[in-house]
Amino acid sequence: MKSLVPVLTVVAAIMALWYGGAVWMNSQWTLDQAARAGTEASLRAIVVDTMAQDRPILPAPHQVLSELYDTVIDKKITSKRSLVFHAWITLSATLLGFVFGTIAGIFLAVGIVHNRAMDMSVMPWAIASQTIPILAIAPMIIVVMNSVGIQGLVPKAFISAYLSFFPVVVGMVKGLRSPGAMQLDLMRTYHASRVATFWKLRLPASMPYLFTSLKVGIAASLVGAIVGELPTGAVRGLGARMLSGSYYGQTIQIWSALFMAAAVAAGLVAIVGIIQRITLRRMGLAQ
Amino acid sequence: MKKLLMSAVASAMFAGGVNAADDMTLQLKWVTQAQFAGYYVALENGFYSDEDLNVTIKPGGPDIAPVQVLLGGGADVMVDWLPSALAAREQGAPIVNIAQPFASSGLMLTCLKEHNINSPADFPGHTLGTWFFGNEIPLFTWMGKLGYATDGSAGGVTIQKINFNVDPLLQKQVECATTMTYNEYWQVIDAGLSADDLVVFKYEDEGISTLEDGLYVDEAKLGDAGEVDKLVRFVRASMKGWKWAEENPDAAADIVLEYDETGAQTEKHQRRMMGEIAKLTAGSNGALDEAAYERTVGIVMDGGVIKAAPSGAWTHAITDAALN
Amino acid sequence: MIWVIGALLFWTGAWWLNTWLAGSSLAGTRAVKLAVPVIFGVTILVVWEALVRGLQVPGVILPPPTVIGAKFAASLAILWEDFVQTFIKGALSGFIIGCAAAVGTAIAIDRSPFLQRGLLPVGNFIAALPIIGTAPILVMWFGFDWHSKAAVVVVMVFFPMLVNTVQGLASSEVMQRDLMKTYSASYWQTLFKLRLPAAMPFIFNGLKISTTLALIGAIVAEFFGSPIRGMGFRISTEVGRLGLDMVWAEITVAAIAGSAFYGAVALIEKGVTFWHPSQRN
Repeated sequence: MKSLVPVLTVVAAIMALWYGGAVWMNSQWTLDQAARAGTEASLRAIVVDTMAQDRPILPAPHQVLSELYDTVIDKKITSKRSLVFHAWITLSATLLGFVFGTIAGIFLAVGIVHNRAMDMSVMPWAIASQTIPILAIAPMIIVVMNSVGIQGLVPKAFISAYLSFFPVVVGMVKGLRSPGAMQLDLMRTYHASRVATFWKLRLPASMPYLFTSLKVGIAASLVGAIVGELPTGAVRGLGARMLSGSYYGQTIQIWSALFMAAAVAAGLVAIVGIIQRITLRRMGLAQ
Repeated sequence: MKKLLMSAVASAMFAGGVNAADDMTLQLKWVTQAQFAGYYVALENGFYSDEDLNVTIKPGGPDIAPVQVLLGGGADVMVDWLPSALAAREQGAPIVNIAQPFASSGLMLTCLKEHNINSPADFPGHTLGTWFFGNEIPLFTWMGKLGYATDGSAGGVTIQKINFNVDPLLQKQVECATTMTYNEYWQVIDAGLSADDLVVFKYEDEGISTLEDGLYVDEAKLGDAGEVDKLVRFVRASMKGWKWAEENPDAAADIVLEYDETGAQTEKHQRRMMGEIAKLTAGSNGALDEAAYERTVGIVMDGGVIKAAPSGAWTHAITDAALN
Repeated sequence: MIWVIGALLFWTGAWWLNTWLAGSSLAGTRAVKLAVPVIFGVTILVVWEALVRGLQVPGVILPPPTVIGAKFAASLAILWEDFVQTFIKGALSGFIIGCAAAVGTAIAIDRSPFLQRGLLPVGNFIAALPIIGTAPILVMWFGFDWHSKAAVVVVMVFFPMLVNTVQGLASSEVMQRDLMKTYSASYWQTLFKLRLPAAMPFIFNGLKISTTLALIGAIVAEFFGSPIRGMGFRISTEVGRLGLDMVWAEITVAAIAGSAFYGAVALIEKGVTFWHPSQRN
């Protein structure tokens, strides 16, 4: 709550800059159109016009808000023109991919911590895998999966998993290795096997690191789902909306889909944060 | 008891009937729009089911290469343009043209009049925006024919890769941009410009037009009599759809809108598009015109995209049987 | 079929080799530390080649590594030109501008907890804007050349860098700050002699994250409009021409460049933060 006033102040400042920027950037088109019609445009006319253009270079905040209102509240949730519908399409791929990525990441992390060969060989390649631009190979992944009959949600989830497994691996490796030497020695005095040490010491100790990584991972998973929508026809989902907005020059549509995506991401991270707080409090690891 | 027996017999008949229809998947070159009206009309009006075909239409988009989908087994037939099909064929993809509904090309270069480009002689020193993904071939060939370098050096033109929207032209990041007669040109008009503010160079008029929307399949299918029969029926029904669309453009546009999943298309834009598309399909009964094919091959080879003249890239076998 | 079986055998053999190397007494040596990931990488390439040939995957869907390698060797001039356009002009300039701006902003808001509490959540929201949406907008604003790519990179790296720097500036211990107070050090002296050096581990953490973000941002931005050179441009147009060997050659360049960039920053980190526990082995 104590952040509310500062946040609102910053948001208000951004809004003021935004309106100013919209007038400045959109005015070029107004002046061009006036020149073509052979008329002059007064300052007042410029300001009014830049606030209500169809293809603005920078949509004014009220234009974006009214588009959001129109597509979120004014449309039925099941309608193809509803942003909520498209958000759900993206969200389903995000969640499924997040689950895949987390499971894969945890398994890889467990392997890396317990097996020296994996530790030395996998980490550099996991890092390198993240330098490959996903946008370039997403179409290939989709085509290859389609050719073996896997269609629809799963290929998109695969791309989401590709982007979200890496933060989980990095975080879990750090977390599984975080118990201090004293604690590991204590387990040894109890004659605990590696499996017991894992379940009773390493895994609980890694929880704070896991949740931090999950927050990064779920945001990455959303980006992956959006990227995955493009090669599947850009038909449904927030990524499809952004792309069709860009394709048809509907700048306001791009901006509203963009804000919806950011809102979904912020919401998902917040949910993970709540789960984190509850879990860690119950485990006594609250920070 | 009698009712149960009757319904059992009826459902058995239906099941038998459904089994008799062959499944086919068509991969479009772009998103659902009136550019592909013929196929949507054939689906909606039952022309495909009249031929015992159960057709699924997959829309394309900016990141979808129809050739990849076709060879990956995701589709039986695809809509593609001849230049990119020839390039793919040279890369080892065994695709063959089986029908050519589009007789004329819709590509043109649109320039803003205020940049004072009134003829090709005015191009040097200006910035031209073109789409890639196969659409750049005629432009590069044209620049080569006119003797203009494309890397921005003195006496040449600067080429920028633009995406499939008209903002770069409107915001003057490029002085001319590639547009389709049926799509992007009208987006420029919709944005507030009038035809008087624009200078257009139609690729058809400049002699660099290539064959556009055609139907392509994997060569392997042509060796199988059953597959050939399916393709013949498909082409026959599709051409029927195209001719119906030419005669009923508004109704065809409305059918396309029904099938648009994104909810982004508008009636005004699609009806206008259908009117323009009808001009491109007019004059074609579906059979490939050899002279146009040879012209396209020449342009593609001049542009350096393929090195050797292709052989076996097209066949009349399907259209001959379909149009008998 | 024989290719597929061969691939499996090679995989098993290489895995056994790696396990033996990792468990042996030589495991600590530099040579072995380098060899194990290299063997792993070579295995992936061999298995890829064998599966593509064995399962007869069409070359326009996935070419085998040998074909990619041949194309790579044959196209060095083009690859270099693309690399300069995307990495040096786009990614690197955006990286420097973005990170400098973030560090500067962090120092500027350091004295104002009010601004910190307001800016960080808003920055969080802006960082959540997907690049697929922001890239076309930035290309529209900054034009087709490398400036818009640098802008995309700035937007992508600014927030992670800001968060890390703010956290870093807060990481100096109370005892150390008290010591500076006993020396009667001014705010700026404390900042430059204690707090910034103490923040270096966090700053470098942010820099390392930003290296991968910078390269990806520059490449993705090129998908939305570019002059006719650049890695993103080459990838998207070659996909359209079904020249997949060229696409993978560019991806290889991207992977090498990204890893080298990351490694370079990690090397500088080792020099600057030699005193930090994580640098002890």
